Amino acid sequence: MPGPFALFKWQAVLRDWQVFAEGFGMTILVSVLALVLALVLGILFGMMGTAQTKPLRYLNRIYVEFIQNTPLVIQIFFLYNGLPYLGVMLPVFWVGMLGIGVYHGAYVAEVVRAGILSTPKGQFEAAYAQGFSYWGAMRYVILPQAKRMAYPPLTNLAVNLIKNTSVMAMVAGGELMYHADSWASSNLYYGPAYIITGLLYIAICLPLATYAKYLERRLEVSS
Amino acid sequence: MKKLVMLVLSLIMGLSLVFAAGCGSDPAPAASSAGGDAPDIKAVKDRGVLKIGVKVDVPKFGFKDPNTGKVDGMEIDLARALAKKILGDESKIEVQPVTAKTRGPLLDNGEVDFVIATFTITDERKQSYNFSDPYFEDGVALMVKKDAGITDLAGLNGKKIGVAQSATSKQALLDEIKKQNLKIDILEFGTYPEIKTALDSGRIDCFSVDGAILAGYLDDTTVILPARYSPQLYGVAAKKGNEGLTKVANDTIADMKSSGELDKILTKWGLK
Repeated sequence: MPGPFALFKWQAVLRDWQVFAEGFGMTILVSVLALVLALVLGILFGMMGTAQTKPLRYLNRIYVEFIQNTPLVIQIFFLYNGLPYLGVMLPVFWVGMLGIGVYHGAYVAEVVRAGILSTPKGQFEAAYAQGFSYWGAMRYVILPQAKRMAYPPLTNLAVNLIKNTSVMAMVAGGELMYHADSWASSNLYYGPAYIITGLLYIAICLPLATYAKYLERRLEVSS
Repeated sequence: MKKLVMLVLSLIMGLSLVFAAGCGSDPAPAASSAGGDAPDIKAVKDRGVLKIGVKVDVPKFGFKDPNTGKVDGMEIDLARALAKKILGDESKIEVQPVTAKTRGPLLDNGEVDFVIATFTITDERKQSYNFSDPYFEDGVALMVKKDAGITDLAGLNGKKIGVAQSATSKQALLDEIKKQNLKIDILEFGTYPEIKTALDSGRIDCFSVDGAILAGYLDDTTVILPARYSPQLYGVAAKKGNEGLTKVANDTIADMKSSGELDKILTKWGLK
């Protein structure tokens, strides 16, 4: 009796490997670009969160709270189906990259803010005493120290970001999950399709997660 | 650590056993023993209710009325006829919403006895599920926005068509596109309302699925083009091995065809 995992279904997956490879490539590309965007936004807004000027801190709170308290699915859906009504038709690749990048940027901002706050206040005072401006002290004294604290949680965020690219499947994004859904729902060989897809996600996420563990351990030793 | 490794190893071995069992391709046991009911029919009778997977987002076939919360349509009527045939009471049905993505797994794990959900019969799918004789035939159609001024497939050259995640309409379109030597992008979405939303927002230029399903999404701003491509046959699906259920489905559909009952239901839902 051919169950969901019958041999001929596995053979079909292997025969159509290009479908999965194409999606996998897209997932990696979106992940890398979204990660860069998330880091840039996160560092910028993270520093704003610890700034002395109130408007900057407010800006940080608005961004972080708004993004963290709405589901990614709705944000993506808005970018895809909402913006066209305002005359902005972003290609689906941009929808994915911007949506996922901006979403994770908020989380990165919180990690960066925590990293800065965990740096002893004396470091700031010492930097000021040496004639550094606020941004100068940030750039050369505080951030290099905050970086060490922030690395392990940032790596975990990167893992989450990769997994979250799968929301693009909802808007025909052409990444791994979309191709898996499309392939599996046409021939209904869903068993092997989703196992292979899961394994491909593990293949990129597990090394990153292991790297995070390693960084954490190193942090414990050095502090 | 050692324990963990052992645990993982035994898990893998256990799983591979399950897979191996699934891989075996021995023929299904003869379903109906002489005299008594086939085991799959008996299971339904013992339970006293027929579990059916239906669509809830396809007007006229299986649609959940947002006001009453009731699921109704041509395919639900067919489910009632099946319940009457097996259990002698047409109200003994339990409907469960399915999508293109869930209908296969729900059959495999026994959550539903039948899937009656605009399920097109294909050779590839017949390898995984039992299909009854068709109860409905329809062709793939195209819906476009009125103000786009598109009148045929060629008018969609260089544009985008949205289809549901089920290859039958996609394949039909790809064949036709190739024949006419056009260049059209085909995007797949999970559910029909998602495709309609994408058409409304201008993400896609055309919503394509079987004509009768499409008719349920027609509104003032859209128009369905007259062309129909590659006829799609809908069948009642059951799990492989449940030959008894498939036989009942075939008998019921044959009876309904000869008695004119099927035509009556189709007319009732405006599908004829």
